[in-house]
Amino acid sequence: MDTSIWISILGFLATVVLAFTVGVFYGGIVRKITARVQNRVGPPFYQNFFDIFKLYSKETAVNHGWMQHLGPALAITASVTSLMFIPILNGQGWPWFENLNFKGDLIFLLYMMVFGSLGMALGAGQTGNPNSAIGVSRGLSQMVGYEIPWVLALVALMLQTHSTSITGIMEYQTTNNTWMMFESPLAFIAGLLAMLGMFHYAPFDVAFAPSELSSGPASEFGGKYLGLMMTSGSIFAFVKLTLFVDIFMGGASNLIMLVVKTFLLYMVPVLYGIVSPRYRTEQSIRYFWGWPTAIGVLGVLYVVFIR
Amino acid sequence: MTDNNLHKEQQIVDHLIGTFQNLSGKVKREKRVEVSIEKKQISSVLNYVKDHLGFVHFSHMSCVDWIEDGYFELVYILWSPKQKVQLLVKALVDRENPSVENVDMIWRQVNTYQREIREMYGIDFSGMKGAQDFILEDWDEIPPMRRDFITDEYVKEVYFERPGREDAKDVRETLVKRSGEEIPDFAKKYSRD
Amino acid sequence: MPNDKNSQKIVDIIKNAARKHSLFVLAYGTGCGAIEIPPTMTSRYDAERFGISGMATPRQADVLLITGYLATKTLKRVIRAYEQMQDPKYVIGFGSCTINGGMYWDSYNTIKLLDKYIPVDVYINGCMPRPEAVIEGFIELQNLIGEGKAEGAKKYKDNLDWYRANQRKVIKNWNMPDYNW
Repeated sequence: MDTSIWISILGFLATVVLAFTVGVFYGGIVRKITARVQNRVGPPFYQNFFDIFKLYSKETAVNHGWMQHLGPALAITASVTSLMFIPILNGQGWPWFENLNFKGDLIFLLYMMVFGSLGMALGAGQTGNPNSAIGVSRGLSQMVGYEIPWVLALVALMLQTHSTSITGIMEYQTTNNTWMMFESPLAFIAGLLAMLGMFHYAPFDVAFAPSELSSGPASEFGGKYLGLMMTSGSIFAFVKLTLFVDIFMGGASNLIMLVVKTFLLYMVPVLYGIVSPRYRTEQSIRYFWGWPTAIGVLGVLYVVFIR
Repeated sequence: MTDNNLHKEQQIVDHLIGTFQNLSGKVKREKRVEVSIEKKQISSVLNYVKDHLGFVHFSHMSCVDWIEDGYFELVYILWSPKQKVQLLVKALVDRENPSVENVDMIWRQVNTYQREIREMYGIDFSGMKGAQDFILEDWDEIPPMRRDFITDEYVKEVYFERPGREDAKDVRETLVKRSGEEIPDFAKKYSRD
Repeated sequence: MPNDKNSQKIVDIIKNAARKHSLFVLAYGTGCGAIEIPPTMTSRYDAERFGISGMATPRQADVLLITGYLATKTLKRVIRAYEQMQDPKYVIGFGSCTINGGMYWDSYNTIKLLDKYIPVDVYINGCMPRPEAVIEGFIELQNLIGEGKAEGAKKYKDNLDWYRANQRKVIKNWNMPDYNW
């Protein structure tokens, strides 16, 4: 009993460290790739570590009340909690990374991933800055947009595999020896297009870009709060990527395959975002409720009637 | 040859002298005509040249401070695109209580120039709408472009002295010393000392 | 680790290394020298390889670039932006107008010596300095941070009364919030 609890806690810590490191490295590598596309030498690929350490070493923390402390704390709580419910590795070989999985955790994750933005919205509301208020309303309206094709893709998956837990979906993929990517391609396409919105990259970054209303909700967060938000953003990126790989690409059986698969998947929104301008809020919502929703509905119908 | 070229400019001057009294004018050179009027005729002359003589484009308005004679001189510069002639309308304003009528209902962009002249010279344009502070903020000395505002003393009093530049203030004397030539006569007339 | 008081502790070395390799510059062009900032930040004279990137708000920025002359109207807003930034913060003075007044040395509306109003760490001279000179100024700032000598913010906090007296002499209508951190 005691050793299993200790192994669980160690596994928890190892997962957090792994997610933080991989997430921050991905951030730096994305900056390097962006620079090379723009025909210049970019920062070194460990640059984001320097950014986060510098932000944590700021000496004064200017805040406007206790709710502003709570905002980034809620954001990082949501990221780490979402991280706990995702199986990092497929199979039984590494007991450390099992964490907390249970039946129905896919529906739980749908709600937990929204919690982080709510925390930041609460913190930004306390500051009283009008830029933050407009940025928060834009970010939340965009979330209404991309949640719909995402939920449709997940519903199509859940109907096909008759289970609502991520481990169930992974077992379905190993028993049938295929990837869900090829089994229900329409759900994969809808999910991929929704994922473009979830990462808040161009063209859907109207809420967070520095030239849009001076960075939207984050305009009053500086120093340690910004460091916490960057950390939570990196961990959350890893969470989303791993979730996608587990559901659609069959999970990974060791860490190297996981890194390779998530990196290849991450290149889709990054490379599309480097060359895109920015959508306005209503244009992005109109895009998400157009083709991705239609493909999602078709995917659900395909599963119900043909399979 | 010269007479043929300045024919249309001379026509404009003669037309204006015939229409208004107390107006004197001359042709300065090709494409430039100069007219001097009284303060109370400003709006009627500007309206007339805009409607009847084709000077529809307003280029610039500026102000000259003749402190020795005791008046300001307002200069309105207009341009006629059809005949390609530039017209300078000059009016003298008393320096003690400067007050002129407002002409920005003829061309709307005159408002900006009038606001600048009000702030820099202190001329009051009666009936003009526009914010009080235009370029300078919280300025409580005399208007700074007037010639009795001594910039050197004001700068020395309010701002810090730049180190190492105490002996390099007069460029003209340095150039005279360096080249060994005399200051020519036309430059001595405008010298400040 | 050496134990004498002159050398730095290991914590300080790590902190200074993190601070010097990632500088966030406030995207605020105060004067006509701001036209040299976009060439420095974009592809040809890439400044991002040193870790320098632009940020939108004073709460998130480290470095304030005073690019050129400061009229008294702008000085009030610059002081307000400077006091909103969080410690440790640095100021770089661009161009000869911050050093001794430059082209506007006898103007009734611009300030001549920037160092008497807000503390300056590094000056870059030129009218306007070329992007290579700008990058060299940033490297000078990085070296000063690495040695622990860029203490402009502390100088401001300690001598606040003197700076305030100088600022009030030039700015006549003082309606700004107090500086309390």
